[in-house]
Parts: sequence; structure tokens; C-alpha cells
Amino acid sequence: MKKLFNLEKIKSLSYPVFKTLMIIHFLLFFLVILIVSRMHFSVPGFSIKGLYQFPNIWKFFPWVASWFNLFLAIVVIVLVGNEFSFRTFRQNVIDGLSRNDLIKGKLILILSIAVYTFLMVLLAVLIFGLINTRDLSFSLVFENSYLLLVYFVQAIGYMTLGLLISVLFRNNGLSIIMFILYFFPIEPIIRLMFKTEARRFFPIKIISNLTPTPEFLTMTSEQTYTTSTGTSSLDFSEIGLLPEKLPVGTTVLVAIGYIGFFIAISTFLINKRNL
Amino acid sequence: MEKVLSINNLSKNYGNIQAVKNVSFEIRKGEVYGILGPNGSGKTTTLAVVLGILQANGGDFQWFEQPFGKHVRRRIGSLVETPNFYPYLTLWENLRIIAEIKDAPDKDINYALGVANLLKRKHTNFGHLSLGMKQRMSMAAVLIGNPEVLVLDEPTNGLDPEGFAEVRHIIQTQAKEGKTIILASHILDEVEKVCSHVAILKSGELIANGKVGELLSAEEIVYVQTEKLNELKNLLSTSEMVAKTYFDGEDLAVVLDSKFKSADLSKLCFEKGYPLSKIIVKKQSLEDQFLQLVK
Repeated sequence: MKKLFNLEKIKSLSYPVFKTLMIIHFLLFFLVILIVSRMHFSVPGFSIKGLYQFPNIWKFFPWVASWFNLFLAIVVIVLVGNEFSFRTFRQNVIDGLSRNDLIKGKLILILSIAVYTFLMVLLAVLIFGLINTRDLSFSLVFENSYLLLVYFVQAIGYMTLGLLISVLFRNNGLSIIMFILYFFPIEPIIRLMFKTEARRFFPIKIISNLTPTPEFLTMTSEQTYTTSTGTSSLDFSEIGLLPEKLPVGTTVLVAIGYIGFFIAISTFLINKRNL
Repeated sequence: MEKVLSINNLSKNYGNIQAVKNVSFEIRKGEVYGILGPNGSGKTTTLAVVLGILQANGGDFQWFEQPFGKHVRRRIGSLVETPNFYPYLTLWENLRIIAEIKDAPDKDINYALGVANLLKRKHTNFGHLSLGMKQRMSMAAVLIGNPEVLVLDEPTNGLDPEGFAEVRHIIQTQAKEGKTIILASHILDEVEKVCSHVAILKSGELIANGKVGELLSAEEIVYVQTEKLNELKNLLSTSEMVAKTYFDGEDLAVVLDSKFKSADLSKLCFEKGYPLSKIIVKKQSLEDQFLQLVK
């Protein structure tokens, strides 16, 4: 494992495109959260500051970070596609790696990028949350923190899909186009052919729903209400203003299932096809 | 001598095309073994199969009398067709990747770059090298991990004569150090100058194999002129010195037995009263012999 990690480190950290995309990913994330933090609502009773306070920030920041998961998937597509274009997968096998090692190496890369983005969002959450939240308590700070782990699963989901598409098409340009086309319109069109219940279980739908759009009305509301179920803030889902979603646990389990499927197919293709 | 590679009835198809047909041969330790054949004869496919890049459709092979696996791969340094490196990485970084895979120390990288005369370029990106340097870099790569066997597929492809000589020098030096070398090439001269043994492939089939000297020996042909050429031809046809005679234009072409030289022929003709007014010695080109074999 250490050997595969070292190999991926040499291959990626010295690659200018990798560094550029990761820097863009980092800058875009911080740019969005800084710009939004400077915005002001003109609606009385609502404040943007609510998004930057615990525990709402655990929903808001991973959601913003999820916009840029596309970059991470493209990074993986480019790095895997290069191995085919430069025929270095072939050379790695000649030099002594097994075909399974090739996939393991890319999974280590995916895991490393996911850990990096996890830490990036965690750091941002802690800095902005601690600055903007009054009356801090341990339970308040860590309420909803599990959503960061859900974001971590989502990042892995997009990147393993990128891995599969790259192994399938073996060409950077084609893989990126197919990846984007699968997002729109391929999967949405296929979804339309199925019943509403089934539509929620398609790969992109499941993976993107891991970080759903936060309930902005609830999170930016400065007032609290006591509802029929005893919640202390406005629950817009309950009063029918937000669509019903799958439980987070179910979504995560199905997403992990898809990740396993993407990895299994990629491994099968690498083992069966000529390099 | 220890068997390094045994190939038994190996076959490989690409769809309906049979690229390798029941090929069998053995390579022993210390041999410099050439795999010779025209383009499309199955040389690279054979090497790709025995290196685990392609799956065989039939037959089997063994390295060091063992099945092919991770432990075997590390004893082999290979260059198959084109140099496959990361163009955005430096030479040192590219070789570091190979060293990491083979658990080889960093000192191997400097040694290999030194042998390939690329030490001064270690921090240059691979993509910035000339074709000759890229080919030398490939030679450096196969030396990482001090492998017992070097598998080289067309190592002089696209090189100028100077590059050709440099790569040949590296191969000969490694052979002197006792390494077994498997060299696939369509260049007869390359095989003849470097190899001790050769297997000749044509359209995926093995048509001959053995020692280079036995398969591809250059015959000496002497072209002569004298006043009574027909009489001389009759005389020489009965001589033990001569293997064959025939007319080539206005000259009489005499193929000598390998024990005799052109000076012996000249002396014989003079003694028998046929002083030669012209004598030109040519060697039948190996290329002609090779083409005859693959015809």
C-alpha cells in the first residue's frame, strides 16, 4: 500500500494539470463561501449569518464543496486517462505491478483526494463556525457534523464514477465529455422512463442527493418557532414546502453500493482488456 | 545451462487474425537471443504475451522454469516497442517510479542514468528529450533493479547511426556482464552484430532458430575474368575449393567453400594456366539470406 501511495504521489504531485485543478478547486470553494458571507438579505427576520453558524454550517459548507466535486472527478479522469495515453499502465505492469495494483493505486489516489477535501471543508467549517457562532457548546458544534462524512462519501462517489468512465473510454477528452453528458442529459432522460420512486435510486441522483440543497429558509431564519413535533426551528419539510427525500442513511448505503459497483467494473475491465 | 525462458506452442489471436501460431523455443542463461522477423511477424506480440501484457490464446511459457508472476517480473527489465514514460516527469522521477515498483534503491537510478549517458539530464522532463535520448532512457529504465534478463523490443527504432551505436554498446556491455538479453528486431545487422542466437519469425510462425553463425553465415563470392571463362568454369566445377559457380553478367561468380579464400582461388587459376585479369570479392549479404529464409 505504501508503495502504491508513493507511486501515485510521484505521478500526481509533479503533474501541472493536477496542481492547477486542485488549486482552482481550493480557490473556488473559499471564494464562494467568502462572497456569500458578504451578502445581505433584505428580507426582515432572515440573515445570511445563520449559514455560517453551528450546526447549519455542517450542511452549508459540504453543499458548496459538492459543487466542485466535478473538478475532482475530472482530476481522476485526467490522471487515469494519462496512464492509457502514455501507455504507462502497460509499462507499470511490465515493471512488476499487477493489474489489480493499478486499480488499487488509483483508489488510493481517490481516497487521498477525498481525505484532502474532507480536511479542507472541516478546517473551513471550524474556522467560520467558531468565528460566527455565539454560545458555543460541544453538542451544538458537533451536531450535524456527520454530514461531512456524507460529503466524503459523495466525493469518492464522483471520483470512482470518473475512474470507471476513464477505464471505459481510455481517452481524456472523450471521458470528460461522456462524464458530463452522463450528468446531463443521459441519466436525467433515462430517469424519466422510470416511475418517480425508482428515479431516486439512479447513480447521479443518489450521489448528488448526499449533499442536498440546504433548507435556506430554515437556516437563515432568525426566529424560532415551536412546531407540532416540538422542533425548535421552522421545519419546512413538515409543512410541505420542501420535497420528501430518502433518509440520509439509505442514500449513503445505496451510494456506497454504487461506489463498489464502479470499482468492480473498473477492476474487471482492467483485468480483461489489453493494456 | 539454466533455462531463462521456455515458450511452448504459444498462440495469440487478434479477432480472426492469428498473430502468433504455435511458437516454441528456449532461451538459456547468458545468451543474447535475437527474435528476428519483418514487421507484423509476431515479435512484439510474442514478447507482450511472455511479459504478461497480453493474454495468450494457446500454449504456455515459463520464466526461470517457474510460472510467470510478480517475483519473476522483478528479475526482468523490459522495453516493449516505444518508450513509455510520463512526459511531465523528470528522468529521475520516471526512474524513481520503476525503482519503487521493483524495490530498487535510489543508487540504481544514478547507475542506470550513468550507463545511458543521461546523468546530466536527470532533472529534464522526459517530454523534452530527443528521440535518441528517449531510447537511451528506455535502456536506463530496463537496468533498474539490476535484472538478470533484459527484454528489448526494437531498441534502436528511429535512431541515427550514432544512437544506434550507443544503444548497441550498452547491450554489448550488459551481455559481457553476464545478463541474458532478448532482442526483438527487424534489423538484420543489429541482430547479427549483437546476438549469439536467433529465432526467425514470419507471419506469426517460427521458421528457424539456432546460433546466428549457423543460420546467417555470410558466403564469400569471387567475381573473376579471364580469356577462357567457360573452360575455367568447367575446371572450377570439379574443384573441392569451390561450392558453386555461375555467370553473373560478363563475370564468372565463384562461391568458395568456407575453408578457402580468394587468394587460394587466384593461385589455383594461375597454376592451371588461367591467369585472372579481374578478381572482385563480395560477401553475399545477410539480408539476401534472411529474405530467402522468410520468402
